[in-house]
Amino acid sequence: MIEYDSVTKVFGIGKKAVTATDNVTFTIDKGETAVFLGPSGCGKTTMLRMTNRLESITRGSIKVNGQDIMDMNPQKLRLTMGYVIQQIGLFPNKTIAGNIAIVPRMLGWNKEKIRARVDELLNMVKLDPEIYRDRYPVELSGGQQQRIGVARGLAANPDILLMDEPFGAIDPINRDQIQDEFLKLQAKLKKTIAFVSHDIHEAIKMADKIAIFKDGKLVQYDSPESILMRPANKFVSDFVGADRALKVLGLLRIRDAMNLSPKNLVQAGTDAPQVLKMMEDRGMKFAFVLKDNKPVGYVSPKLLKYEQGKVEDLVERFPEELGTREPLRDALSAMLMHDMIDFPVMDDNGDFAGSISYKNIQKSILELYYEDQDG
Amino acid sequence: MNLFVFIQENLSMTLFLTWEHIWLVGMSLIIAMCTGVPIGIIITKNKELANKVIGGANVIMTIPSIALFGLMLPILAIVGHGLGKVPAIIALVLYSLLPIIRNTYIAIKNVDPAIVDAGRGMGMTKWQLLREVEIPLAIPVILAGLKTAAVMNIGIAAIAAYIGAGGLGVFIQQGIARSHEAMILTGALAVSLLAIIVDLTMSLLEKLVTPRGLKL
Repeated sequence: MIEYDSVTKVFGIGKKAVTATDNVTFTIDKGETAVFLGPSGCGKTTMLRMTNRLESITRGSIKVNGQDIMDMNPQKLRLTMGYVIQQIGLFPNKTIAGNIAIVPRMLGWNKEKIRARVDELLNMVKLDPEIYRDRYPVELSGGQQQRIGVARGLAANPDILLMDEPFGAIDPINRDQIQDEFLKLQAKLKKTIAFVSHDIHEAIKMADKIAIFKDGKLVQYDSPESILMRPANKFVSDFVGADRALKVLGLLRIRDAMNLSPKNLVQAGTDAPQVLKMMEDRGMKFAFVLKDNKPVGYVSPKLLKYEQGKVEDLVERFPEELGTREPLRDALSAMLMHDMIDFPVMDDNGDFAGSISYKNIQKSILELYYEDQDG
Repeated sequence: MNLFVFIQENLSMTLFLTWEHIWLVGMSLIIAMCTGVPIGIIITKNKELANKVIGGANVIMTIPSIALFGLMLPILAIVGHGLGKVPAIIALVLYSLLPIIRNTYIAIKNVDPAIVDAGRGMGMTKWQLLREVEIPLAIPVILAGLKTAAVMNIGIAAIAAYIGAGGLGVFIQQGIARSHEAMILTGALAVSLLAIIVDLTMSLLEKLVTPRGLKL
């Protein structure tokens, strides 16, 4: 847990004094990722660098796990926090193993333990220890180097990670991949992370909480959903962009919005005329066909007209399969691509879990938007 | 050939003067290295001081060597060392300082700030950073400075013969005085050869101490 209490940082003195952060108070809970977001010069990096005392604090206090950092030796404090930066800063004269081992060596681990840890970390960041252990940083691509940067930050298994635009210098394709890998890693490791970014997409993707800074002030500190749907002021709404509803779609999962008990279901073994009659009676445009509780396709009155057999032989297959964990964005994308307004959703076993329609999506967005306007 | 006859007849003298020359240059280089490298490192922390120190070393470099020997003579005469090896070594040390300090300063300054920031952020002390990263990265450039100083000093040491410091300059100086062509040539060739050998050896050394991660 990291507690920022009225943290103020002033660079310079007298007339030249510049306030980098102004009376900032918020708390990063244990195991959560807080993304510090804002335009350049907003104080987000200064905030991060005060956390491990690379910058001094002018006023206010920062507590880490309840202890005021000013009461701790700066070197010892930093040894307990991983530090990952955009420029990576690998030591070019040391091998990959040597780079990862820096903090464990300073902590006095024995050679065997360090060796085992280096291999474990290389596996964790998906680089084969046999191949990479004894290489030098220049022999690695930018993306691989930043994987080593992350591994080095995690080396001594710190509770806290400080990351200053860690994926900012990596090309977009690799960045997406390394972000995904990092999210999976974090789901297991549950570190408390302070993460600086200027990219709203990255913030939405990585954050449990987003802290938006402007001119040294903390403008809003909230979950990504709330920041997107209920921005505190015009600055935040401009910063998150006019397409914020679309961005929320990337955050919400299909399971959050889907219809758990749709009415338009028919069993695979039913005769076509019977289904046709039912659909015409109820005015259904189409129905999902289930076999052993797995969706096999859909039928429409047009498909069934003049047919006699069982519906399972007449179905149209779904052009895309959607799972409960996929983002709503994917569901909407499938609807737009295939000109369908309703899709079945499958759980992890491929069983039918519910359906998702355009209306369901819109409803969940509006719910978020109005949530606290009632209260 | 007169030259070979001269060398053959004065072999032990030639070898002795060569050794004396190497000793003069080597001694001054060691002293200059032991002072210049730490000075070069210290001034990286203070830009103003760095400008003053490097500026001062630059001024010393511009004084012609024969003039420097002359300037030191009355001062060192007070402690009874106006002539001989002491003023020679002092002058050689002074001349070596500029390339050594300058190269050390530049090499440490040129270490990527991101590397230093990453190191500090991980909890390394200034001293750990110097020992584990900055100095290893700077060593090839520092050695290049030492090489410049060494080669330059081999030439300057030849002039030190005029203040009785010995070395191969003795052949040149006495050869000129006696119009002894073979003697002049022996001294001149030996000094040149020495400079070339030192240059090649130090270039090789430079390659050897460059960290492997920088060569790839």
